Amino acid sequence: MRQAVILAALALLPGIGEAIYFRDKVSWQSPIPASEMVTLTQARAWNGNTIWVDARPDAEFEREHIPGAVLLNEDRWNELLPQFLDSWSPEKRVVVYCSSQSCNASREVARRLRDEAQLKNVFVLQGGWEEWLKSRK
Amino acid sequence: MRTHVFAFTLSIIICATARAELKWEQTAVELHPTPGEKEAVGHFKYQNAGSQPVRFKSVHTSCGCTAAQSQKDEVPPGEKGEITATFKIGDRTGTQVKTVTVQTDDPINATTVLTLKAVIPQQLEINPTFVFWGQGEALKPKSIVVRASKEFPVKQLRVTSSSPDFQTKVEQTGNGQFKIDIQPRDTSRNMDATLIIQPESSTKTFYAKARVTNAASIQ
Repeated sequence: MRQAVILAALALLPGIGEAIYFRDKVSWQSPIPASEMVTLTQARAWNGNTIWVDARPDAEFEREHIPGAVLLNEDRWNELLPQFLDSWSPEKRVVVYCSSQSCNASREVARRLRDEAQLKNVFVLQGGWEEWLKSRK
Repeated sequence: MRTHVFAFTLSIIICATARAELKWEQTAVELHPTPGEKEAVGHFKYQNAGSQPVRFKSVHTSCGCTAAQSQKDEVPPGEKGEITATFKIGDRTGTQVKTVTVQTDDPINATTVLTLKAVIPQQLEINPTFVFWGQGEALKPKSIVVRASKEFPVKQLRVTSSSPDFQTKVEQTGNGQFKIDIQPRDTSRNMDATLIIQPESSTKTFYAKARVTNAASIQ
């Protein structure tokens, strides 16, 4: 028993060492406040008061997107932002999505809309496009 | 006790020598692309330091903006290679961190996360990029502040409105810093304009938007 504990402790050492050594090198996804996330059910309940923003690359948007969604990605931000703002109005809520729960593009686009365009009521869709696809099944 | 120490040492030696092991020269790369560069490419070099071949099972990137490629599917013992990660810069600015997750059949070190950090210089900081007035709002100018980064000094800024309904006035407020005052001709009806911002020293065009809208803001 004692030997097993010693062996387990020894086995842990490299892991602990690595965790300390790489503590600054792990890329964590920036946490996003819960108030800025929205579920598909919530966003749908807003009905006509929603502007869907597709933050995925052009090719994925062209393949398929949420009906009525506006393309706004960081590949062509400068060009697409004025087009998006044409469809924006203050009473509307903006819901940004990307491919899945793990993608970060929707968070970045939402952040830039808040910080650079100083828009309010900008949300990120939980689960992204994958969630939308699931809901169609 | 001596037997135990010997058995333990032996097991360590066996584990260290018999396994497949992909040794990475670096798992984090920092790139500093120059303005105008469309891509930033990171090279992650490795060597199979073990005695067994290593097979790549998958190579996934954290973002649609990054593509990763392995040169080969299997790495024989002793052989070197690299994973190339190509990050599409687009209109991104600031520090961008993208990851590439590499999965191999090495049972001890099956997953390696490679980190590509790109520090993209921001030529012009425009804040905000959008100004708007509600219908009937007082006819007062709103301002956009433009700051040029130290690396790209800007002495003059040309601002053009796509619509005569909005007037613009550019004022230099400091070294590489400008204030653009925008004012609609009236706020009694909906109107909008794209403001084309052109630094004299750059071929790149920047945009901002101005608008008069009839809807009240929701909270």
